[in-house]
Amino acid sequence: MTTSAPSIPAISKFPEAEGPWRRAWRQFLRQRSAIIGLIMIGFLSLTAIFAPLIAPYDPVGVLLGKEEGIKKRSGPCIHMLGCPTDQPQHLMGVDGNFRDLFSRIIYGARLSLLIGFVTVSISLSIGTLLGALAGFLGGWFDNVVMRILDVVLAFPFLLLAIAIVSVLGPGLMNAMLGIAIVSVPAYARVIRASVLSAREEDYVLAARTIGVAPLKILFGHIMPNAISPLIVQATLGIGTAILEVAALSFMGLGAQPPTPEWGSMLSAERNQVFTAPHLVFFPGLAIMLTVLGFNLIGDGLRDALDPRLKRS
Amino acid sequence: MNARSSSGLKAVAGVLLLMLLIPVLAACGGTPAASPTAVPATAVPATAEATTEATPEATTEATPEATAEPTPVAENQAVYTEGDLLAVAAKECGNGYTGQIKEIVAVDASTVKFVLCAPDPAFRAKAAFTPFSILPSEYLESTGGTGDLIEKPIGTGPYMIDSWVRGDSITLKRFDGYWGEPANTETVVIRWSSEAAQRLLELQSGTVDGIDNPAPDAFEVIANDSTLQLKERPGLNVFYVGMNNAYPPFDNEKVRQALAIGIDRQRIVENFYPAGSEVATHFTPCAIPNGCAGDAWPEYDLEAAKALLAEAGFPDGFETTLQYRDVVRGYLPEPGRVAEDIQAQLAELGIKVTIQVEESGTYLDKADAGELKGLYLLGWGADFPDITNFLDYHFGAGASKQFGAKFDDLTAALQQGASKPTDVEREPFYVEANNLLIQHVPMVPIAHGASGTAYKGDVAGAHSSPLTSEYFAVMAPGDRDTFVWLQNGEPAGLYCADETDGEALRTCEQITEALLSYEIGGTAVKPGLAESCDPNTDLTEWTCKLRTGVKFHDGSDFDANDVVMSFAVQWDAANPLHVGRDGSFTYFSSLWGGFLNAPAE
Repeated sequence: MTTSAPSIPAISKFPEAEGPWRRAWRQFLRQRSAIIGLIMIGFLSLTAIFAPLIAPYDPVGVLLGKEEGIKKRSGPCIHMLGCPTDQPQHLMGVDGNFRDLFSRIIYGARLSLLIGFVTVSISLSIGTLLGALAGFLGGWFDNVVMRILDVVLAFPFLLLAIAIVSVLGPGLMNAMLGIAIVSVPAYARVIRASVLSAREEDYVLAARTIGVAPLKILFGHIMPNAISPLIVQATLGIGTAILEVAALSFMGLGAQPPTPEWGSMLSAERNQVFTAPHLVFFPGLAIMLTVLGFNLIGDGLRDALDPRLKRS
Repeated sequence: MNARSSSGLKAVAGVLLLMLLIPVLAACGGTPAASPTAVPATAVPATAEATTEATPEATTEATPEATAEPTPVAENQAVYTEGDLLAVAAKECGNGYTGQIKEIVAVDASTVKFVLCAPDPAFRAKAAFTPFSILPSEYLESTGGTGDLIEKPIGTGPYMIDSWVRGDSITLKRFDGYWGEPANTETVVIRWSSEAAQRLLELQSGTVDGIDNPAPDAFEVIANDSTLQLKERPGLNVFYVGMNNAYPPFDNEKVRQALAIGIDRQRIVENFYPAGSEVATHFTPCAIPNGCAGDAWPEYDLEAAKALLAEAGFPDGFETTLQYRDVVRGYLPEPGRVAEDIQAQLAELGIKVTIQVEESGTYLDKADAGELKGLYLLGWGADFPDITNFLDYHFGAGASKQFGAKFDDLTAALQQGASKPTDVEREPFYVEANNLLIQHVPMVPIAHGASGTAYKGDVAGAHSSPLTSEYFAVMAPGDRDTFVWLQNGEPAGLYCADETDGEALRTCEQITEALLSYEIGGTAVKPGLAESCDPNTDLTEWTCKLRTGVKFHDGSDFDANDVVMSFAVQWDAANPLHVGRDGSFTYFSSLWGGFLNAPAE
């Protein structure tokens, strides 16, 4: 005798639960300012990638003797806007060394993005490692690391960076390193605070109970749950890093000539602010838009990743 | 009641504690350091060694009885007295003493005699130079040669210092007891900003009456503005690309010769200098006698330069640095732009240049010490209109190490040229010296840069000085009673014997005066505190007849002793007043050959 197994009624399928990242992305896209930031940085990234195709001239090439009738610090000449076609077109004018400003601004985007990402990557890696270990291990390690970072924090940000660059010597790499070093405490503190709260959670206790190795608990369980404030901090940090390196370059401690770096371009022509304002306007505008773009994205991410601001 | 008795107890305890501490401090040798003025005066010592040790008070306030016997010149002398008159002397010329001055003697209250080791046709021009201004001997002594002397110098000039707010401004007030024409304006305020744009903006907005060194691009703006006036300053200066022959590859003369013709100097002057600037055909500007004697600098020739480099063993060029200080001077109005242009030009020769910007003070120190290993941008503005001020200072036997080892043939020519009394007699030696510069190429002279000053349209008496010594006493800013001047930088100190920066010298020129002076807005030498300075036939003795009735700002009378003391504290390195701000007294040692009692290096 056989009995047929009772047929299991079909369970109506639950809608697939939305993951936290997907939800965050949806939240992010709801914010108009964040979208604007994303578009700005997207545009900047494309400019940087395709700089050799976009820039009409060599960014460090002196046009004196190569282009008929070129004038030092001449204003923008755009044929579409009425500039005589017998004059060569310079969308943003010519700088004090007879170079095309537009080409320099375009290549400057490459440098600025590189500066932002490299600086933040360095400080983020060091800061995350130190902060996470300090928060997770606690005890003397936490005390020593955090007190050292407190000392670094006690110095004015830019002043300490200037001191570091002065010791290492002026140059773009050293400027990035200087800014990265002084940014470490901010990341370390953020991740430490996150780790401190996360390590008391039940899932960490559960992992401990079943004998998961401590490092695996830290990087496999705690970090993924503590990382969202860090993402926000890093995004905002890119803007800050670009601004700070531009400041160092303005003071002659960052990019060295003839590198087309926006801060040094601004510095080189600062005394022409009344006689050739375009030479300070365009690099200044480029810095402002880039930093604004990253800040808008950072703000958007903060809102999107903060569960307390979760909207339906 | 309790409180009162408690405070009384504390007071008693305090007094007891002090009584206990005083002997302890005394036992530890805690006596206060004696100030120069606190040292008891001693009679004029019989020996020269003792004179060197004597305090100024000791020498100047000595009793007539004690000074009746003139001190014999046995050794290099500190200030010694002849009756009531001061004198200072070197034991002998040469034999370890490199200086040009042998003796300075107050012959009488209004006559000073300078005895030199060799004829010096530039004596008058040097005697008019601001660092050799005369200050009251009593004030030099009371300040100990530093301190107040640096902040509040006392002179005989048309203005006296009223206040100096560090980092902000210096205020000068008219000196009513001035011996000459009184200053037109009661108050002069001197301010500073390193940014040319700010200087121009302040002039346009009317917060200042005059500015120094507007940016070259602003010349046209000022000239086209009817409310402003531009006063162009001729280029009595030189801008050059320096190199030190102690470091490779600049130890190779062919490399230096390649650079001499491998830089398009015309392009630099045309594009980065204001109108009125000239390509340097010689190191010294032609306006200075014999400055342009000899051959002109060879023309730009890129191919020949490449060939020379290949001949020197650098067919593909080499890598080097190009250092400069980001400071605007009349000889280099756009340092950054010029540096980048030279970088681009040298790239065509295959020379890969890394630009390094240095802090101004450090840069000058490194240049003097011969520590600039690559190419470097530097210049020189005339202090006084004589060729020795250009050639001897840079390439003479006593020059610094900035170009490396000296060229014996060049130093010999310069030495001979400097000792001849007339321009005609000096000419053959300067022809030789200028030609040797082309052969050895210790540097590449680029430009004699014109610069300028700008004033509000209603400023009367506005002018530019080729020596950058604008004289504010002749200026009158409309109906305002204060003339505000905005220059490039703040003076480091106002005891100008120990300053070299033009920003300090210009301020000093309003306050102090030298034996002779330069004409306003020119270079001709005129009487100053001396009515005349006349030489003997071989130009080795110069006798200066001093103006009488001149008073210092503190009311004291000017006399020959002030002249001797003002020179002596600079000349004699062992003088207790040879202190200054940093004690280098650079102009004295470089223009008069060296110090008396100079410490061994």
